[in-house]
Amino acid sequence: MSNLASRRDHDLYILIGLTLVLAAVFAVVFGESMYSARNLRSMAYQMPEFGLLALGMMLAFLIGGIDLSIVAVANTSGIMTALVLTGVWLPGLSGYGVVAAAVATGLTAAVAFGLFNGFLIAKLSASPIIATLGTMTFYSGIGMALTGGKGITGLPSAFTSFGTAEMLGVPVIFVCFVAVAAALSAFLSRTALGRRMYLYGENPLAARFSAIDVERIGFWVYGVIGLLAGMSGHIVISRVNSAKVGYGDAYQLQALLVCVIGGIHPQGGRGKTLGVVCAVILMQMLSSAFTILRFSPYAKKLIWGSMLIVMLGLEYLSAKQNVRRELRQKIVH
Amino acid sequence: MSEGAIQRRRVSATEGILACVVLLYCVMVAAVNPAFLSVETLFDIVRSSSTAVIVGMGLLLVMLSGGIDVSFMSIALFGSYVAAYLMIRLKIDSLAFAFAVSIGLGTTLGLVNALLVNWLNLPPFIITLGTQNLFHGVMTTFISDKTFGAGVMPSVLSKFGSATLFTLKTRQGVMGLTVAVIPMCLSILLTWFIVYRTMTGRGVVAMGNSPESARRAGFNLLKLRLFTYGYIGALAAVMGVVYISQVNAVYPNKLVGNELMIIAGAVIGGVKDTGGRGKILGVILGIAIIYLLNSTLIFLGLSSSWNNFFVGTLLVASVAVTSWQNRRKNRKNLLFME
Repeated sequence: MSNLASRRDHDLYILIGLTLVLAAVFAVVFGESMYSARNLRSMAYQMPEFGLLALGMMLAFLIGGIDLSIVAVANTSGIMTALVLTGVWLPGLSGYGVVAAAVATGLTAAVAFGLFNGFLIAKLSASPIIATLGTMTFYSGIGMALTGGKGITGLPSAFTSFGTAEMLGVPVIFVCFVAVAAALSAFLSRTALGRRMYLYGENPLAARFSAIDVERIGFWVYGVIGLLAGMSGHIVISRVNSAKVGYGDAYQLQALLVCVIGGIHPQGGRGKTLGVVCAVILMQMLSSAFTILRFSPYAKKLIWGSMLIVMLGLEYLSAKQNVRRELRQKIVH
Repeated sequence: MSEGAIQRRRVSATEGILACVVLLYCVMVAAVNPAFLSVETLFDIVRSSSTAVIVGMGLLLVMLSGGIDVSFMSIALFGSYVAAYLMIRLKIDSLAFAFAVSIGLGTTLGLVNALLVNWLNLPPFIITLGTQNLFHGVMTTFISDKTFGAGVMPSVLSKFGSATLFTLKTRQGVMGLTVAVIPMCLSILLTWFIVYRTMTGRGVVAMGNSPESARRAGFNLLKLRLFTYGYIGALAAVMGVVYISQVNAVYPNKLVGNELMIIAGAVIGGVKDTGGRGKILGVILGIAIIYLLNSTLIFLGLSSSWNNFFVGTLLVASVAVTSWQNRRKNRKNLLFME
C-alpha cells in the first residue's frame, strides 16, 4: 500500500517538474513578454474561471463519472444572475441588495442544476455521459430561451468590481480559486467522506457493498460540481461585464484535458487536487504562449486535441509499467 | 428471457412510443397552424434530416458495439472539405471522385479512432473528443482554412445538391424530393444487412453486450472496432459530401459541434450507450423528432432559440425514463452494476 501511495506522488513530482521546466523554457524564449507584471496579472485573472470548471470536472472524474454540462451550468447561472442584476427579474431592489439577491439566485440555480445531474446519475442510474449531454443541451436551452441568444450587458459596478478587485496586487478571484482548491484538497485527502469518494470511483460495486452510500455521495458531488461551475460563471460575467450563451465553450475540452494532464484517471478513483492545479497553471502558460505567438484558434484546437491523445497514451504506458512493476515485486517477495 | 423476446419483435415499445409522439406532435402543430400540413414541409424535413440519418446509421453501429464517437462531424468535414478542395484546385468535376476521396479519408480517420480506442483502453468519448479537435486542427492548419462559396463550387456538386428524385406540382409551386434520399436509403439498407445478416454485425452486438464474452466466443475485438469506427468514418464522409452539396459551399468551421444532435437522436431513439441495444427504426424516429422540433417551432410561434430547450427536455426525459426502467429491472434481479 505504501508503495502505491509513493508511486502516485512520483507522477505528481514529474508534473510539477514539467511545469517548472516549461516555466524556465518560456523565461528564456519569451522573456519579458511572458513574465511582465501585466501578463502575470492577466494570467491570474484568466485562471480562476476555467480552473473552477476543471476542479468540477475533477470531482466527476474521481467518482468515475464525467460532467459535460459544466459550461452550460456556468453560462446559464451567469445569465440568471445578470437578469436579476439588470432588474429584469425581481425589480425594485437596489445597491448591494440586488447583488446579494442576484448571486443567491445564480448560485441556487447552479446547485439545483448540479443536483439534477446527480439525481439522474445516482438515483436513476443514467450513464454520466448521456445524462450530462442531455442536461447540457437542456441547461443551455434554458439560457438561450431566457436571452434569445443576445448578450445581457450593463451590470452594476457593485458587482463587476468583484471581478477586477485586487488584494495586495493579487486578483481576489485568484485568491478565491486557490482557497477553493485548498479546501477541496484537504477535504479529499483528510476527511472520511473524501476517501470514500476515491473508493467509490475505484470500484462502485465494492464501495456499495462496503456500506458506503454511493447514491447519496454521487448526488451531492454533482451538486458541488454545479456550485463550482456556478462560481465560474459568476467570475466570467463579472470580468467581462456581460452574460451570453456560448461563452467559454472551449473550456469543455480544456477542463477535460487539464484533468487528464493532472493525473486524474478518467475511469475514477485516482488523482490529486494538486495535480489539477499544476495542470491549470501549465495550461494557462501554454495559452499565454499561444497568444504571444498569435496562433489561430484552429492551431490551438490541433494542439489541445493532440495533447489530449498524447496524455492518454502516456497514461496507458505508465499504467502498463506499473502493472509490470507490481508483478515483478510479487514474484520477488 | 423476456429480453430475448423483445429483441425478436420487429417494433418494440420504444419505437411504438416514439411513433405516437411524432404523430401527436404533428397533429398538435397542424391544429395550431394548418400550413404545417403540406408536401413542402415534409420534403423540407426529409432534405434537412437525410444527412443526419446517414451518419446516424454509423453511430448506431458504434453505439451497438458499446463505444461512442464524437469525432464523426470532424471526419465528415475533413473528407468533404479535402474532396472539394482538390476538385476546385485540380479542376476535376466528377461526383465519383468526390465520394471516393471523401470516403477514403473518412475511413482512414475512422480506423485511427479504432486503433486509439483499442490501444489506449480508455473511454472512447474522451479519445474521440481528442481526435475531433485533432482532425479539425490538422485540416485547418495543414490543408486550408478558406471558405469556398457557391461561385467556385464544382458544378457537379451544386447539381447533386439541388437535384430531385421526382417533382410534384402543388399550390405553392413545383416541389421535389431531394436525391439525398438515395444515399440515405442505401445506408439504412446496408446497416440493416450488416447488423442482422452478417457475422460481423452479430459480433458487434455481442461485443456491446459483453466484450469479454464476445472475445471468448472467438470474435476479434480489434477487427470489430476497426470495422465499426471505419464504418462510421465512411458514412460520415458520404454525409459530408451530401451536406456540402446541399449548402452549395464549403466552410472550414461548419458541421463540427453538431454531433450532439445526432447522438441525441440516437439516444432518444432508444440506443443504449452501454452497448448492445438499439434499433435502426429507433434512430430514424429519434432523428426525425429532433428535426421535426427544429423545423416546426416556427409554426408554433416560437423562435428558434427554443430549439435546445425542447431537444434537451426530450433527451433528459427519455434518458431518465429508460435508465430508471433499466435500474428497476436490474434491482429486481439483484444487479448493482451501474
